[in-house]
Amino acid sequence: MNYFQPQTVGQAVNIAQTFEATFLAGGTDLVLHMQTGKIHPNAIIDLGKISELKEIKETDGYLEIGSMATFAELGQSELVFQKALALWLACQTMGSPQIRNQATLGGNLGNCSPAADGLPPLLALGAEVRLISREGDEVVSLETLLSRTPLLSQGTLIREFRIPLKGLQSGFAKLGRRKALAIARLSVAIAIELEDNRVGKVRVALGAVGKRAYLSEILARELSDQELNEVWIEKGIEGVQRVVREALGARASAPYKREAVSGVFREALGTFIPEGGTKV
Amino acid sequence: MIEIKFVLNNKPCALNVEANERLLDVLRNRLGLMGTKEGCGEGECGACTVIIDGKTVNSCLVLAPQVDGCQITTIEGVGNRQSPHPVQKAFVQVGAVQCGFCTPGMVLSAKNLLDKNPQPNDKEIGVAMSGNLCRCTGYDKILRAVKLAAEEGKG
Repeated sequence: MNYFQPQTVGQAVNIAQTFEATFLAGGTDLVLHMQTGKIHPNAIIDLGKISELKEIKETDGYLEIGSMATFAELGQSELVFQKALALWLACQTMGSPQIRNQATLGGNLGNCSPAADGLPPLLALGAEVRLISREGDEVVSLETLLSRTPLLSQGTLIREFRIPLKGLQSGFAKLGRRKALAIARLSVAIAIELEDNRVGKVRVALGAVGKRAYLSEILARELSDQELNEVWIEKGIEGVQRVVREALGARASAPYKREAVSGVFREALGTFIPEGGTKV
Repeated sequence: MIEIKFVLNNKPCALNVEANERLLDVLRNRLGLMGTKEGCGEGECGACTVIIDGKTVNSCLVLAPQVDGCQITTIEGVGNRQSPHPVQKAFVQVGAVQCGFCTPGMVLSAKNLLDKNPQPNDKEIGVAMSGNLCRCTGYDKILRAVKLAAEEGKG
């Protein structure tokens, strides 16, 4: 097996054109899959030495996050805390300290587990993804990207995430079987336009409910442009339970998740809105 | 084979590795450093914890070529029988070791925490140790040992 350790994005994309290679980000899923024989890559392109992929910065109304930024780096970033609270919160509880030191946001998308912790916050915050391949650059909304099968064509590199800074307030909560080292059984990310006590646009993303994390159009429609109060919160809870019930159908976990989601939804709201819905 | 160079427990090290070799296997099987343990082999238990460039990682999830140019600390580089590290002393004093299999990883997580944050509060200790599982008994003595090491460090 060939192993490449390019220093630049350009080199990485060039190598990917020549060899049928697999990109290695943090390795917390890939190395395990290699070890168990689930995958047998012909060649590996280790992205770990490309410093431009690790940047977290604010530019022209966007929070830009390089695909190789780790969950630990994101979870310690004041910028992410200020501008993308839902993502920051997800980074606190993902895996363990060791996993957070290795795992990257780009790898989270590339592996695309149904329970991927990073994806619901990115969806709720309206993130775009910059991809790079032999065809050139492409900026696509994460929502659109997640509807593609396969997610990425061969040789396509996830370069960065772009979160538009539209002043959305956001929160996140997940349900695991224990507090640390838990794979999400259910996760909810919410982003809201909030002015005084008036809710503008609402985006609710769910994780571990379908094959991939997704944004609920129904909840966006039902919850946008209203007064923020306890009635609105109850309406949200009723709505999210209905959405989960419909998404899971007769699956074994359905009775549990459709009940549990009400608590997770309330908890996600509680990360940025005080109880009862009155804004500070 | 790929030639890699890194600094292991403050000593330069160069060797040829296969692309799909895990760091854990290189440490144990080629370098004879048996203090790094393989527990679950899937990044859950933290028994294989090592410190790479100041960060704790699970060495079962690291490919050996990834550490080219890195600084690595394993339990063998932390202390020894003659001069144990303050965290190791505290583990002995409190009795925080039962079977001992998780202990190298625990000590490395605790050492790395105290290197960065010499006076952690209980919550910070809890978070720093949350990636290391002990299946013998509870975590009370382990957390107490980390706290003691922090207190001893004050003087």
